[in-house]
Amino acid sequence: MATRTYISNDFINGAKANTPIGLSVFAYGAVLGMLCAQKGVEIYQLTLMNVFIFAGTSQFIIVDKWNNISEIFTIVAAALLINLRYFLIGASLNSLFKKSSLRDKFIYMHLVADENWAVTIERSKRESITPLFLFGGGICLFSIWSIGTYIGYIFSGFISDPSKYALDFAFIAIFTALCFNLYQGKRNLIPWLIAAVVAYVTEYLFGGNLYIVLGAIAGSLVGVILEAKK
Amino acid sequence: MNNHELYALIIILLVSIGTYGLRLSGLLLSGKISDEGKIRIFLDYLPPTLLLSFVTPVILREGLAGIFAIFFIAVCMYKTKNVFLSMVIGVVTIAISRNFFY
Repeated sequence: MATRTYISNDFINGAKANTPIGLSVFAYGAVLGMLCAQKGVEIYQLTLMNVFIFAGTSQFIIVDKWNNISEIFTIVAAALLINLRYFLIGASLNSLFKKSSLRDKFIYMHLVADENWAVTIERSKRESITPLFLFGGGICLFSIWSIGTYIGYIFSGFISDPSKYALDFAFIAIFTALCFNLYQGKRNLIPWLIAAVVAYVTEYLFGGNLYIVLGAIAGSLVGVILEAKK
Repeated sequence: MNNHELYALIIILLVSIGTYGLRLSGLLLSGKISDEGKIRIFLDYLPPTLLLSFVTPVILREGLAGIFAIFFIAVCMYKTKNVFLSMVIGVVTIAISRNFFY
């Protein structure tokens, strides 16, 4: 019984910890909902995407190309390229899932988004948590995200430009704050700098979303090279 | 069901399977890796470098306001360790810049 209480606490703590970032997830969802209404996406199609894809940026890509939906290969490739970072995100969750069953891994991984992943990784450096923390965050974000998209869809004519209030910057600000919290000292400086520079240059030269994955791989490789020497 | 709906369903299905596959395979493949050595260091560096790569181009696109926002966030995190407060400070900095300086 004691274990059960502990586990459900982790779920609730995860949901709570993701509520602040939910503000920007809500705004982001509302923008997608508005876009869906304008492009003629049906509510059931939006719902299918929210439930089964649950990856905001790739949903934007699909909706953005809604009028050229017959280009199946191009759209699927673009969406999956953007979601390529989820492979690295999954890999970085290895130690959190160390004691989990295969069944838990299959269930909990679906609701992993950038936000609850970042919140979970940062929390796991400070205290001992279970994958339920991640899952609680996922359920929280899924609810907020879905409500945001429906509200945007219904009120598509009323919501003015969210960028005026810098709501689009909210998740960037949170990611930056979480990143600073992961700083472990001077040995991180060069790998972090390399990641930032590679990401910036790649984005500048090629656009798209490949820069996220390339920057992370470059920075992490430099970290390995520098620390393996010692 | 018309062609457009069918194509949309196919796309949603393929992206769903692909995205879930990426999430799960990253975790399952990393589980095969030992705790020691270079791959461990690599995996430890992934979260912060992934976050940094994510935010850097967006921050620099905001120009000077972006730099200021990051500076305030850094100071706030250092002093308070409060993520929500840091977010508010960052967002307010950008909002002020967009509404009054452009």
